[in-house]
Amino acid sequence: MQGKTGSESWQEVWDKSVNGPRALIDCWQEIPCDPCQEACAQGSIVLSSGICAPPALHAEKCNGCGKCVAICPGMAIFLVDRSIGSGLARVTVPYEMRDEIRLGGEAWAVDGEGNYLAEGRITRVSGAGRPGRTMLLTIEVPEEWALKVRGVRGRRKLLEEPEEVEAIEAVEDFAFCRCEEIDYSRLREIITQGEFRSLPALRRFSRAGLGYCQGRFCQSILRSQFLADCPEEDREVESFRVRAPVRPVKLSRLGGEDG
Amino acid sequence: MDDVLSSEVVIIGGGVIGAAAAYFLCKEGAEVMIVEAEDLTAGASGACDGFLSLQTKQIGSHLDLTLESMALLPGIIEDLDIDPEYNPCGGLMLATNQDQLKELKARAKKVKAAGLEIEILGTQELKEMLPEVSKEIKGAAYCPSDAQINPIAFTLGMAQKAQGMGAKIIKGCKVENIVVTNNRVREVHTTAGSIHSRRVICAAGTGSNEIGKMIIVDIPVMPQKGQILVTEARERMLDRIVSGAEYLGTKANLDELLPKDEDAIRLGLGFTAEQTVSGNILIGSTREFAGFDKETTPEAMNAIAKNAINYLPWIKNLDVIRSFAGLRPYSPDGLPIMGPVKGVKGFYMATGHSGDGICLAAITGKLMSELVLDGETSIDISPFSLYRFK
Repeated sequence: MQGKTGSESWQEVWDKSVNGPRALIDCWQEIPCDPCQEACAQGSIVLSSGICAPPALHAEKCNGCGKCVAICPGMAIFLVDRSIGSGLARVTVPYEMRDEIRLGGEAWAVDGEGNYLAEGRITRVSGAGRPGRTMLLTIEVPEEWALKVRGVRGRRKLLEEPEEVEAIEAVEDFAFCRCEEIDYSRLREIITQGEFRSLPALRRFSRAGLGYCQGRFCQSILRSQFLADCPEEDREVESFRVRAPVRPVKLSRLGGEDG
Repeated sequence: MDDVLSSEVVIIGGGVIGAAAAYFLCKEGAEVMIVEAEDLTAGASGACDGFLSLQTKQIGSHLDLTLESMALLPGIIEDLDIDPEYNPCGGLMLATNQDQLKELKARAKKVKAAGLEIEILGTQELKEMLPEVSKEIKGAAYCPSDAQINPIAFTLGMAQKAQGMGAKIIKGCKVENIVVTNNRVREVHTTAGSIHSRRVICAAGTGSNEIGKMIIVDIPVMPQKGQILVTEARERMLDRIVSGAEYLGTKANLDELLPKDEDAIRLGLGFTAEQTVSGNILIGSTREFAGFDKETTPEAMNAIAKNAINYLPWIKNLDVIRSFAGLRPYSPDGLPIMGPVKGVKGFYMATGHSGDGICLAAITGKLMSELVLDGETSIDISPFSLYRFK
């Protein structure tokens, strides 16, 4: 039987999630990446046409264990659970910050761009004691948001958002730039040693944001960390220069007659 | 703005040349200050590939200077605290047709006579060295002394070392004027205040023309754009730096080796490829005159990609993740401009290295230190004098 991708699969996840957590895969990238398939003991995630294909889900096999959520390097898999009823859903997201998120605490559910969706209670925190590992946070939100939640932020943090320059004090280390395998502690070291004036210079020297994803995952943290560690009143923070290709593209396509 | 600073030597520019000059001057115990308008390697030194290509140098003083520079490299690298990823890997220059191969052969003879080892490879020998090269390639010139380096780490390494020896590096500091009285440099006015100094080195790359105006000297350096594609990081696929004969044609302006295609000539297209320590393959490049514009263009990216596939067909399966463009400090004959300026004592030029700054940085730094501190150099630098253009 064929697994389903995209919105087809989401409908099925929505339906099946009344019985318990199910994986929601939000991965569209045709990149060589298959840890989710490897991680799934149920065989519910399949890359149908080679390692570059986006993963397809057999929702009926998924038992909501969450291994794929923790392992996905792109943080593109989530769990949706509507079994608690009363119009609420529990959404599990990967989380790599070590800040004020606490079990039982209130937090804000955000979408893929970090926009506020809803307020909710953290009902589960797993993997917090293991340095370098991705934590899983489960947040309880009104079920209409269940398919949209992509992240969780502490309320205090969000309320203070305008002055984002507060340093994030990391207790434990984590992979900050996954593509280039640069740890958070290493980045801090480079920032504090190098006295860089601009983000492009920081990127040149640290290589953070120069990997396959070109900073799509880490750029915003890089920026806020930079601002926090190198505060200068009169400085304009130049962003990275945006140049083609916006996403990785096969060289053969770039060299094609149609340009 | 009221700060009054002073330094024995002021170096304008925090690129590879400025860093090398600071490094050698500090070794001699000089008091050095680098003023950099943006950040270290903000210009050409941070937007280039890591080619240390000896076989593309003009035969004569240019090649001689390069050989001196390469001889200094191992000692510097040994001394640095940052690994500049130096790799003495050798370089291949590929010929796509018999005419090109003939030219490469003829040139190899002259290059050998000038003291650089070079070997002409037939298709079979080339295949052993570069197994997956296109079947259309007729042969190659192999230069065992060609090498690669990470220009950013190299620059930062030398700057940091100089700093350790007491050099001051002021970033975000733009030079606004240079005060000359009684035919001698006295002061450098910058956005960070005035700096008293009787010796100033202009290592400002593409900004040199602007600096020259401050002392009423025309320094004929203009920006020449080079565009480069960056692929995803992969396992080791290229053991050597690789280029096409047309790259040499475009770079050294050799009619016989120029591309035949009109668009390619206009873009200054020449194939280059190297794999960095990070695993990314840098594919180049163009030589265009577009002022200070640093954008990459669809036309050039398309041409670079298409061209690369002609040499290394397997490269078409790699993902391109980024493109960038850098501005080389181009001088009218492609040779650096080094030495003093008539009528302005204490002003020295170390600029116009065109596409060879990384390769020539070491010797340029050493010569600048000799010139500034002793008033003479161990090598004759008259071929690089500003006055050769007049």
